[in-house]
Amino acid sequence: MHNTEKGVILQIENVCKEFPGVKALDRVSISVARGSVHGIVGENGAGKSTLMKILSGVYTKDEGTIIFDDEIITETTPMESMKRGLSIIYQELNLVNTLSVGENIFLGRLGELGGVRNVQREARKVLQRIGCNIDTRRLVEDLSVSEKQMIEISKALSFDSKLIIMDEPSSSLTADEMKELALIIQQLRESGISIIYISHKLDEIFEFCNTVTIMRDGHVIDTKPVTELTRSEMIAKMVGRTIENEYPPRPNCVGDTLLEIEGINTNKLKDISFTLNRGEILGFVGLVGAGRTEIVRAIFGADKVSGHRIKIDGKFVNIRSPKDAKRAGIALVPEDRKLQGLVLSFSVEENISMAVLDRLCRYGILSTSSESTVARRHVKSLAIKTPSERSRVESLSGGNQQKCIVGRWLELKPRVLILDEPTRGIDVGAKYEIYMLMKKIVEDGGSVILISSELPEVLNMSNRILTVCDGRITGEFDPLQYTADQIMEKALDFSGKEEDGESGI
Amino acid sequence: MVNLEYKLKNAYNKLFRENLILVAIAILVIVTASIEPVFFSAGNLINIMRQFGPLIMVSLGMTFVIIGGFIDLSVAGIISLVAVCTVLLIDVVGQGPALLLGLGVGALCGLINSMLLLSSGALTQAEALFMTYGMSVVYGALALILSNGSTKHIGWAKNATTYFTVIGSGKVGFVPVSFAVFAVSLIILYILQNKSYIGRVMKLTGGNITAARLCGLEVNRSIIFIYVVSGLMTAIGAIVLISRITTASPVIGFGYETNAILAVVVGGTTLEGGKGSVLRTVVGTLLVILLANCMNILGVSVYMQYILRGLILVVAIWLDRHK
Repeated sequence: MHNTEKGVILQIENVCKEFPGVKALDRVSISVARGSVHGIVGENGAGKSTLMKILSGVYTKDEGTIIFDDEIITETTPMESMKRGLSIIYQELNLVNTLSVGENIFLGRLGELGGVRNVQREARKVLQRIGCNIDTRRLVEDLSVSEKQMIEISKALSFDSKLIIMDEPSSSLTADEMKELALIIQQLRESGISIIYISHKLDEIFEFCNTVTIMRDGHVIDTKPVTELTRSEMIAKMVGRTIENEYPPRPNCVGDTLLEIEGINTNKLKDISFTLNRGEILGFVGLVGAGRTEIVRAIFGADKVSGHRIKIDGKFVNIRSPKDAKRAGIALVPEDRKLQGLVLSFSVEENISMAVLDRLCRYGILSTSSESTVARRHVKSLAIKTPSERSRVESLSGGNQQKCIVGRWLELKPRVLILDEPTRGIDVGAKYEIYMLMKKIVEDGGSVILISSELPEVLNMSNRILTVCDGRITGEFDPLQYTADQIMEKALDFSGKEEDGESGI
Repeated sequence: MVNLEYKLKNAYNKLFRENLILVAIAILVIVTASIEPVFFSAGNLINIMRQFGPLIMVSLGMTFVIIGGFIDLSVAGIISLVAVCTVLLIDVVGQGPALLLGLGVGALCGLINSMLLLSSGALTQAEALFMTYGMSVVYGALALILSNGSTKHIGWAKNATTYFTVIGSGKVGFVPVSFAVFAVSLIILYILQNKSYIGRVMKLTGGNITAARLCGLEVNRSIIFIYVVSGLMTAIGAIVLISRITTASPVIGFGYETNAILAVVVGGTTLEGGKGSVLRTVVGTLLVILLANCMNILGVSVYMQYILRGLILVVAIWLDRHK
């Protein structure tokens, strides 16, 4: 209480949070001035969301102090912090689609209004504060994304919020809707409400914010008034420098064209075409949700896509299911190890043999001895640390689990190995082993497509990089000739989307 | 010391926890037999065997569906439909063809179930639950329509020994024919479950359908497989049943779905999918049958029995969660 200066609404001091194996937040300190718009930027995994979840009470912090409105906050719940005046508007808006606008604004508090009859009237009042004319009786499912956002903001206002945190509020707004949001933010600020604005879109940070905090790997790298920073400085701080020897030497064995992709179009992807060469590691850089995963899922036949063309060695191949992809020599290590990769309650052996099961069978009968041989071979060659091949894969560490999935595909000797976030949540040592494995695959004549949210990883391992933004391929780079900032610039290039708007935001 | 404690705990788990169901069966039998010695009479034992025959067939099929990650409530309707169809067909096409056609009807019902699930994309267990419940009503109604709502008798088979009635009541030496049918089915299903390619795909699909699909496994084929097996096994159960009683009521299948699921879950096959065994189901079915039999002998009211059966299902799921 004594520490806070006047004019500070939120003071975060040395907050730490550890998840098993990961330090998500390391001595994070941020102070937000009353009536200001405070931006927070950082790559995926920098710790922004964890911090917000601690503020709202979804997670509890391990260490540190949080002072909100001159009051030290220890343990809290989302409802309590809202009542205290701290609201969070999440990217994936938290509204109940089947209820009306009014009911959503006062969700869980209908009793306080003295009956259902007052809901619509009170909701009307709140909506008017931000000049919003939506009929309060309409169902939320009939609203557009930007209208839903208004409802969320109104909901925050109805709590007499002193601080509103907006997590990626613009991610699905059109240019016009953005202007409306800009106006509302302006209004809120004038009425003395503070805002924490989290966004990947640096333009918005420069337009809306007074101050910006840059986070990376669970640390606060810098906090500065936006006027004292240039865009490229900001990107440099977000991306950071790479530590040497974290990566093996870049493989250099690129040959001629192996895979050609032409014209993938879905409601998310726009005209995706690219080629992959023999012995090449091709990196995809882009934000989570930019469409990277959708591109490889389309190639692998995991999502129903039509109208595109895939050529391998100059010949058209028809891939409509993962089974077809497997036959064509394409393998996919999916994004989510536990949900999409492993059968957790099964053994290491059964998980490794999954992709080659048909080869282990004769007349429909499975040969358990050849299954064991295959499993043992990969446990040995990939140095998977497990008590036995019969142990449950669930009991292994993340890195070893990932190696099981990679091993499963290596048995097929794939020509194209697609790795979607292969090092997410695994320790540095295991990461290095995965990098060595990628190197070995391309040296043996295979090709690799690497998707990763860790930019340094892509920069250091790839022979070529494609940037993906908003469902389009926005650039192609030789990582030896371009800097991280230049590549990141293209990965944040939303210009294709804003073309139809008139002026530059 | 710690080691000993650990070992003891382990031994306890192995002996008691894992064989809890055998312990339960033993207690049930001992208690019942000591109160009412009539339990061990030849008549009662035959009675138990008779009830065991149809239910075990349905339960074995249900085991595959549950291991494969789904559930099948349509077995009640399938039993009624197969029973009515077979009895009606016997007079038209003869015994042998009628039996084969009956099996075909069961398999076809299973195929329809799986096709409905696949084409609608309703691939969660909850959706399968309602979808197959709906189909159970449809199959049951078809049985009512075909039989005009009345019970069909095979009059001439009443006291004659034909190879149709042999299935239900005949013996080879000491072994009832229906028991032989059960033993053969069990062996085939056990091999399918543990040794075959499709069996492994079934388990992997039940364990994680997304991962299985992304490994290029034939997930759809596995779903068709489990439902066809369930339909076929249910049809065998229906035929075992009607060949003994030589009548087919259009509502004869009532209650089989809950008893079969009870038998599978009590046996120790998890509703989560992926894990389980037809062998466990044999023990589970035994418990379900014995429970009803013992309660009847002890004169416990039917309503009380329902309560007990429900509680046992809850306890079985609870134990499965707290392993």
